[in-house]
Amino acid sequence: MLTKEEVLKIARLARLELTDDEVSFYQNRLGRVLDYMTELKGIETREGTGVRHVPLDSEKFRNDEVVTFPDKEALLQNAPALEEGGFLLPAIMETE
Amino acid sequence: MSNLNQLDIQSLLAGYEKKQFTVSEVAESCLKIIGEKNAKLNALLEISSEKVMKRAKELDGQGSSSGKLKLYGVPIAIKDNFLVKGWQCTAGSKILEGYRSPYTATSVKRLEEAGALIIGKANCDEFAMGSSNENSAYGPCRNPWDLERVPGGSSGGSAAAVAASMCPAALGTDTGGSIRQPASLCGLVGVKPSYGRVSRYGIVSYASSLDQVGPLSQTVWDSARVLEVMSGFDPHDATTSKMAVPDFTQSLRETSLSQVTLGIAPAWLEGVDSDVKKAFDASIDALKKSGAKIIEVDLPRTRYSLSVYYLIAPSEASSNLARFDGVHYGFRAKDFTDSETLYRLSRGQGFGKEVKLRIMLGTYALSAGYYDAFYLKATQVRRLIQQDFEDAHKKCDAVLVPTSPSTAFKLGEKSDDPLKMYLSDIFTLPVNLAGLPGISVPCGLDQQGLPIGLQMIGRPFDEAKLLQIAKSHEQIHGVLKRP
Amino acid sequence: MSDLREKYEAVIGLEVHAQLLTKSKMFCACANQYGAEINTNICPVCTGQPGALPTVNQRAVELGIRAAIALDCQIRSESIFARKNYFYPDLPKGYQISQYEKPYCEHGKITVRLKSGEEKTFGITRIHFEEDAGKNVHASHGTVVNLNRAGVPLIEIVSEPDMRNSHEAGQYLRALHSILRYGDICDGNMEQGNFRCDANISVRKRGETKFGTKVELKNINSFRFVEKAIDYEIDRQIDMVEKNEPIRQQTRTWNSAKNITELMREKESAHDYRYFPEPDLSPLVISSAWLEDIKKVMPEMPVQVRERFQKEYGLSDYDAGVLTASKDLALYYQEAVKVSNNSKASANWVANELLGRLNAAGKEIDQSPVKSDQLGDLIIRIDKSEISGKIAKTVFEEMFATGRNPGDIIKEKGLVQISDTGAIEAAIDKVIAANPTQVADYKAGKVKLLAFFVGQVMKETKGQANPGMVNELVKKKLD
Repeated sequence: MLTKEEVLKIARLARLELTDDEVSFYQNRLGRVLDYMTELKGIETREGTGVRHVPLDSEKFRNDEVVTFPDKEALLQNAPALEEGGFLLPAIMETE
Repeated sequence: MSNLNQLDIQSLLAGYEKKQFTVSEVAESCLKIIGEKNAKLNALLEISSEKVMKRAKELDGQGSSSGKLKLYGVPIAIKDNFLVKGWQCTAGSKILEGYRSPYTATSVKRLEEAGALIIGKANCDEFAMGSSNENSAYGPCRNPWDLERVPGGSSGGSAAAVAASMCPAALGTDTGGSIRQPASLCGLVGVKPSYGRVSRYGIVSYASSLDQVGPLSQTVWDSARVLEVMSGFDPHDATTSKMAVPDFTQSLRETSLSQVTLGIAPAWLEGVDSDVKKAFDASIDALKKSGAKIIEVDLPRTRYSLSVYYLIAPSEASSNLARFDGVHYGFRAKDFTDSETLYRLSRGQGFGKEVKLRIMLGTYALSAGYYDAFYLKATQVRRLIQQDFEDAHKKCDAVLVPTSPSTAFKLGEKSDDPLKMYLSDIFTLPVNLAGLPGISVPCGLDQQGLPIGLQMIGRPFDEAKLLQIAKSHEQIHGVLKRP
Repeated sequence: MSDLREKYEAVIGLEVHAQLLTKSKMFCACANQYGAEINTNICPVCTGQPGALPTVNQRAVELGIRAAIALDCQIRSESIFARKNYFYPDLPKGYQISQYEKPYCEHGKITVRLKSGEEKTFGITRIHFEEDAGKNVHASHGTVVNLNRAGVPLIEIVSEPDMRNSHEAGQYLRALHSILRYGDICDGNMEQGNFRCDANISVRKRGETKFGTKVELKNINSFRFVEKAIDYEIDRQIDMVEKNEPIRQQTRTWNSAKNITELMREKESAHDYRYFPEPDLSPLVISSAWLEDIKKVMPEMPVQVRERFQKEYGLSDYDAGVLTASKDLALYYQEAVKVSNNSKASANWVANELLGRLNAAGKEIDQSPVKSDQLGDLIIRIDKSEISGKIAKTVFEEMFATGRNPGDIIKEKGLVQISDTGAIEAAIDKVIAANPTQVADYKAGKVKLLAFFVGQVMKETKGQANPGMVNELVKKKLD
């Protein structure tokens, strides 16, 4: 079972604003699902044996050549707000 | 000729060859039935007779030279989590409402180059998360076999569109069963190819290591045709294989079962509805009578698939869905005060209930202190599941199980218990976890007249063999008529 | 403060982000180009459109491997790209593709020369590949995001906490910068942010083995500022410890106008980046055959150039070291020699006169007002006895101040050396006539006075007489 604080911490990390109702709803649901998953604990596995899903013969590299995307407008037209050709949002003070 | 919308791909191509009808006539016929049925079914989210007819006329104009095109004039519905330039792409989510695709997915591009006609964008569970299509922000889609029931999910709209004869085929995506389960519930053929067979470029990522693109259609030949056109290496997708793509339709000519060994895993079948079990057993018997060797295999670790899947898929999804933040495109909440609240409100209001659940589940599984016990452990157990199939496939060409433990259920029936809903995919999840090709074919109807699906799970990149077996099965059973 | 500095020891580790010199971005085919118009070098991949997938730039990997080879790193045959998850507007995917648990190389080292003449080796913990973020720009209604830089290839080079003062940190950075420049790995432009440095600094009482709380200094854009900022920070921290104030884990930045470090942000309860293997990419495989191919075409590294300068130009190890401190300097020297055909004189002029003057003016070699061919020209004129070495220094001053050619300056100011016997003799006669007493003394045996006469003649000719000839002719006249 997760605590309310844990749910809020996860929601904060995931940048999800939750209503109070949602918090208790997810506390319950996440708890149920995570309880079910404890079945994995007992299974014997070895380190470094995670699955490799990408086929071995897949292409690993792209040549260093410039290809210009033809429709830059289409990339900007979906923006909720634009200014001076950039994606606009409220002012940010510092940089990551 | 009337009812052109009811023709399958093979018949359409033959008709075009003989100049029995034009692409425009076919398109009109499809649009007509869409106009009649879509309001009730909610199978398609975007319909554009303008775009469709323009393209149909273009194809008609190409005339005889186009005869060589493998999908000339074939109407295909595209799940709304594919980007197709000029069309919307919502992935069934409010957060992508109004989003216009700036480019076209590789799989769709290949269909268009082969002469296909995009007929519309199909409804789906939000971000392909769901097994009933009830998680769509644009309303649930209904099953053409029974309007009170779900078509399955997440590619519910794709399945419903084909089952309602709006088009002979549709594209879906399958992360844990999202093509095969709706195919099963709507009485269709649905293929989830090997991971790396079809490009994922241009489909809205849900779980990158599990997502695959595949066709839904009425017949095995039709699915084989769509699949052979889409498959193969794509320089835009570093996870596609360079392995040569066989001519799948050509290989369907060989359908003898005498050299074929099929595996069944009796231990796996507990809890399956009795009608489903009956139809499954009958199919096995029929295949055996037609010369296939039936053996028993053991897949002991597949029983952990649900836990493994619901750790890996949400983990990847929590990261894949981080890009929907109200800054660069998509829904932006109104009442924000700074960049932080802009993110939290846009995401909090833009995503639906199930999506938020999975994002939080994945965020938790990847977070400091839980990564090893949850995400990492799941990838290790995933390997064991893959190992089980490797062992089984040493002894048989395909493993057979029902596609879904039940037939189509009623709207709302499973929506208040996540685990109950998740169990709908218990037979399809392990196939994605192991990266294998899987196909669902109709194998009968239950007592209420609802379709039942049989799933065949093949060796990696051996779709040809799988399609051959499916074709043999179809020859025994006959093609299931659409409702 | 200096007494206190004795009592404490600083521990400094550096993280350098270096943009790789590729044509296209790390994971898409957009141009890697500085200064383009806002949001023009963009595509579905680097704007994080739904459905877009990354593909790895082979050249970027090759350049990264060059750095690994040059820095003596152990290269992993199979490394893993990982997603670093955090929300920020200049990061359109909501995650940065980086490397985490298995970077492509680790355990390297770099040797630098300190001003004491001593050489010191610092450890390199790891280097990993990652993509740059876009830029948040202030606009009239808030912040706007420019994604031209999003996805530009970077290597992040992380040092061991081996540096103990600002000079060591500065020399580490200069040496690293030089290697990246020599290898054509990174253009090293710090103003454009193509070579960026973060420093982690803590202090502890000498003899202690535990590290103090570290403060991170971010985005300092010149070597000098790094040194100044570290010095300031060390003093600030010592001061706090002395006053028994706790040092908080912070990120600070250098204010070059006020010459102080300023708080950027308090470290929040540690970021949770939720790293996990990038599922859209396969492991990065670096085969030994590929490594060998890359080694074959490696550009010369500073150590090799230094050896070559000793052999080819007959320079001392020390001079060769000075002249290869940066690629631009080595190139400058080579070009000067090509013109002057005099490697020793060129070495002296570059290492002493030019570098001295540049240092005083706070300029780098690529900002030198005197170009390499101009300096070569000046040396030719000395060697041809057109001007004396002393006059040459005057000419050089003028060249450094104005950037003009030596020939023009010599001509305009009439500085050409007088080597005409008649003219020199006339001057000598004049001096002899004007100094009868000294002539008498000289003749009486005070031979030391020779220097006096030579000096007077040089004065008479405004320094332009050939000093050797003056010496000879004065002697001849008086003897």
